Amino acid sequence: MSNPSKDLKVRYQQDLMLWRTPLLRVGLISLLTIYILSPIIWETFPVTKFFDDVGLTLTTLNYAGVFAVGAIGLNLLTGYTGQVSLGHSVFVGAGAYFTAYAGSTWDLPFIVWLPGSLLVGFLIGFIVGPLALRLRGNYLVVVTLGLVFLGDHIFRNWKSVTGGSTGVSVTGASLKIGPIDFRNLEIFGREFEKSQSFFWLIWGFVAIVALLVKNIVRTRPGRALQAVRDRDIAAEIIGVDLLHYKTMAFAISSSIAALAGALFGVLQSFISPIDFGLLVAIQYIAIIILGGMGTIHGSIIGAFVLGSLPRFVENISRDYDLPGVSGDQGGIGGMISISSLNHIIYGILIAAFLLLEPRGIAGIWMRVKTYFKTWPFSY
Amino acid sequence: MDQLLQGVFDGIALGARYSLIVLGFVVIYRATGIINFAQGGFLLIGAFLTYNFSQTWGWNFYLSLFLSMIVTSIIAVLIQLLLLHRSLKEISAGVSCLLSWSIFFYNGNSHLVSLITGVFVGVLVYFVVQRFEMRFGAGQSNELPIFGSIIVTIGILFVIKQVVPSIWGFAEINMGDPWGFKIIKVGNLVLTHAKLWTIALTAVALLGFFLVNRYTKIGIAMRAAHFDHEAAFAQGISLKVVFATAFGIAGAVAALAGTVTGVGIAQLTPNMDLIVFLAFPAMILGGFDSPGGAVAGGIIVGIIQNLTKVYQPEWDLNWLGVGFDRVMVFIVMLIILMIRPYGLFGTKEVHRV
Repeated sequence: MSNPSKDLKVRYQQDLMLWRTPLLRVGLISLLTIYILSPIIWETFPVTKFFDDVGLTLTTLNYAGVFAVGAIGLNLLTGYTGQVSLGHSVFVGAGAYFTAYAGSTWDLPFIVWLPGSLLVGFLIGFIVGPLALRLRGNYLVVVTLGLVFLGDHIFRNWKSVTGGSTGVSVTGASLKIGPIDFRNLEIFGREFEKSQSFFWLIWGFVAIVALLVKNIVRTRPGRALQAVRDRDIAAEIIGVDLLHYKTMAFAISSSIAALAGALFGVLQSFISPIDFGLLVAIQYIAIIILGGMGTIHGSIIGAFVLGSLPRFVENISRDYDLPGVSGDQGGIGGMISISSLNHIIYGILIAAFLLLEPRGIAGIWMRVKTYFKTWPFSY
Repeated sequence: MDQLLQGVFDGIALGARYSLIVLGFVVIYRATGIINFAQGGFLLIGAFLTYNFSQTWGWNFYLSLFLSMIVTSIIAVLIQLLLLHRSLKEISAGVSCLLSWSIFFYNGNSHLVSLITGVFVGVLVYFVVQRFEMRFGAGQSNELPIFGSIIVTIGILFVIKQVVPSIWGFAEINMGDPWGFKIIKVGNLVLTHAKLWTIALTAVALLGFFLVNRYTKIGIAMRAAHFDHEAAFAQGISLKVVFATAFGIAGAVAALAGTVTGVGIAQLTPNMDLIVFLAFPAMILGGFDSPGGAVAGGIIVGIIQNLTKVYQPEWDLNWLGVGFDRVMVFIVMLIILMIRPYGLFGTKEVHRV
């Protein structure tokens, strides 16, 4: 329980501060320590052996980081601006394919193709954004759903760039910033594996994007976006330019998604249209719902949970004999395969969270925090 | 000319399926205000049930179709009661019932024993949760946003899509319809029996729906509920019954749509629910809340899609790629929405500040 007088805010700026309590500052420092140290100690520490057993390897964490980047972008659009997008996977795919093409054909350096993929995402969002001005609610959902099919068709048929249905390799994209090459990292004569160096790369981007979006939403543009979410006509009346803000929300969100796609490409090193289908778009939506709409830390937690869930289920059902779950092939005598089990858990998680806890994990965390903060008068 | 007519006829047959699917969407949307993505799941269940009745158990095809429509609509109503009704005790009872049933069944007990155990556990959990709710206050009462309920139905679709192949397998199988390859020739047109029957069955189903909607008591109640939930409730209309009926009708037409989609050689696959997503442009075209628009939109989209397929090679548009006809309908949808944001026949929503 905290000293109530400490929570007294006399100025508005204090309410907007990022690290406003000592506890948060301690948390920041410990997060930084974890970020720097965990790739080094992951392989050597006995505790992490347990994590590895349940499928929580560094590679899984890297995928979760990629999802976190994309989910933060989607949260800016859906959680803060209230524009539902079921077509986020197209933006992700655009970034990934640009990376593949720029890396292999044009042979661009890291510091050029990365902004390039951001720009590609920005432009696509800039084109799609004005649609949201004319449509809202269910109509927007269905139109963005149409984007997925449009994108999938382009990915499969623009063979010179995307390699068609078979996909394209992303190993050509260089990851060199000055002396540091993330593909084979070497610091003080010590060589690191790909999963270790990618952890630093990807989670560094998670931090940058989280800070960027947090800064957007706690300043003037962010307040405008939230006004648009709450009631767009009312927002327009008090002077929020809807065209500007809705388009910008789409553009920024999709450029962040393109960044996620670029990272996904270099992490997986081979991409095909399956990686950017409807399932992935729903996955991103599921992440922000599970984590909590309209929260940054919620998207990261959601990405962490849903990103590591498939590996977890896989390892658990491999080690223990679950009733009714067979091996890799499904559909034998009423048995469910592991991947099917994953999808079922997915579906149940989405449905259950929306029905029982619509504000997600961040909402649960909020309630626990309030309980202890106001103790012993917490009711 | 013959080519055009043939394309239009095939397009109408395709559009008839879209009309059926969209009708299911529209009925649920009018009653409850949500888009039911789980429609694809109902379609799968209906198609595979028909297959199961007619092929595995060897019953008459039309009887199987009828039975599958009934069973699917019962399943749809159950799903609506369990999940979209959003009551903690019912959800937890249902989930624990299913869980205990599956655990008992896969540990070697017979169907009957595991079913009884499941029901017993479910009822037990129901009352326990009810006690908890009474002591700690009822569950949340805030409204689920429209977007939220859409995602819930997507979750249901995920589950159904995995459960269906685990029962009937992933293979592409034959529906075993009585129509086969029989054709009727009118001039130079080739009309296959399957397509004619599709159109005829669709017409009967649509006619039945419109008669129910226009003349029966429940139809009037559904129209009243679409107009204003609270006013209808104040007039003594049970919204529960209206919602359940809407899901029942949607399940039945989905079963019919699934069956006519699955006819032919090796057409019945667990991926068949993709046609539901292709039906979305039809729904947009007609407007979300207009059953007549659903029919018109479905047929327009079917004709557009089929004519694109026919004329794409002829007009040297092959560079647009294989399967462009499916994207074409989405492009048409986008153009129409830019001109008329509420579809061709939909009602304009009034937004109050």
